[in-house]
Amino acid sequence: PSIPEGIPSDSKTNKDGVLVDEFGLPQIPAT
Amino acid sequence: MAHWFHRNPLKATAPVSFNFYGVAGSPAANKICNDLRTTRARLLEMFTDVTCSPEIMKNATDAYFSLLQGFISSLDGTTQENKMRFIQNFKWTDTLQGNIPSAQQDAVFELVSMAFNVALWYTKFASRLAGKENITEAEAKDVHRSLKVAAGIFKNLKEVHIPRLITPAEKGRDLETRAIDAYIIQCQAEAQEVTIARAIELKHNATLIAALAFETANFYQKANQTLNTLEPECSSKWRKYFLLKQHFYIAYAYCYYGQTLLASDKCGEAIRALQEAEKCYSCAEDQCKEYRQTKGPGTTAKPSEQLFFLKLGGVIKNTLEKCQRENGFIYFHKVPAEAPLLELKASYGLAEPIPFELPPLSEQCSAEVYATFDLTKGAKNDKAKPKEEEVRPMKEPDLKPQKDTGCVVS
Repeated sequence: PSIPEGIPSDSKTNKDGVLVDEFGLPQIPAT
Repeated sequence: MAHWFHRNPLKATAPVSFNFYGVAGSPAANKICNDLRTTRARLLEMFTDVTCSPEIMKNATDAYFSLLQGFISSLDGTTQENKMRFIQNFKWTDTLQGNIPSAQQDAVFELVSMAFNVALWYTKFASRLAGKENITEAEAKDVHRSLKVAAGIFKNLKEVHIPRLITPAEKGRDLETRAIDAYIIQCQAEAQEVTIARAIELKHNATLIAALAFETANFYQKANQTLNTLEPECSSKWRKYFLLKQHFYIAYAYCYYGQTLLASDKCGEAIRALQEAEKCYSCAEDQCKEYRQTKGPGTTAKPSEQLFFLKLGGVIKNTLEKCQRENGFIYFHKVPAEAPLLELKASYGLAEPIPFELPPLSEQCSAEVYATFDLTKGAKNDKAKPKEEEVRPMKEPDLKPQKDTGCVVS
């Protein structure tokens, strides 16, 4: 198995490549 | 958020002994039968145990399903049906049909019915957790995740396992498309409700909130439409819940859409959007009353008593007043007669079901042990006749309402 890169976290990106949280909301609220 | 979500009752079932006398022709085969009985009984206990967590539920489900698959999957390397699949009769009630059980002598029917209850348990767990005082972010994630897990189970049953049944589900039963579709959509919509609450709490932009609220309202509308050809006595309460949630989230969508219109200097249209929000909110209030007065299966939610519901009324009122003030001072726009069309697409926060997978087959169920089950032996034995077992309703734990905190999920 390959070596994992980085630390596991709740962060992932959506289809547009925006970093989102577990709820699918942008990590940085853009108010 | 106690009493925020409507919940139909759990399915009830008759006990199953898995005593096949004579048929189980080896100690290992007998052990499988004993373990099936005990793991089934334990899983049933977990459904009504308030201390059960998703982890315990998963372990209890895996323990039973890994063995039950020994009566479903092909174990002798042929493409033929598992010889044990039709040996045992299973009885299950349906969530919308009171205590009248359906019965099928089919292990797939058992798998589907039990998994359905597991999904219902996840929705009830989510509802209980959402009702807690001072809910933490981790708990909000659990609520959100549990609803998506439930949606994934329902979806998997609909697409993979229910089509394998020899006897199709009758009208109004849980395993027919309309009921199961309504459950899938309800789970997704409720998961999105959690996301909307979080988005508001974290002050995400109004466009995002309006779009997600609008899509959630559409989900509730779709769930309601899905059930419109079912008997009203079993479905009208559930449908009224969908309807009140639909109007509540349209009110949300108009309220936040109005804010985006104001931000882009369209004050007249903003006023009209807020007026529409007010109308839909008042409609949702009336539907809450109607829902509570409608008789039907399930626990009655009390959304109109919750802060999350009451707060929206205040936000609409204040935003409308602000728009009217600004129009009087700055914009002098004419308020259009027609409400603006909501054509919003959510880019964030849509809840997708979490794919459900059965556990691997238990190591106990080897081809060698399978070969020691001999169906010809059981038929000669009078004791092998199935004993009629009674179906007793599930004694579900009460949902204790706690002091409402206005759904803070972050």
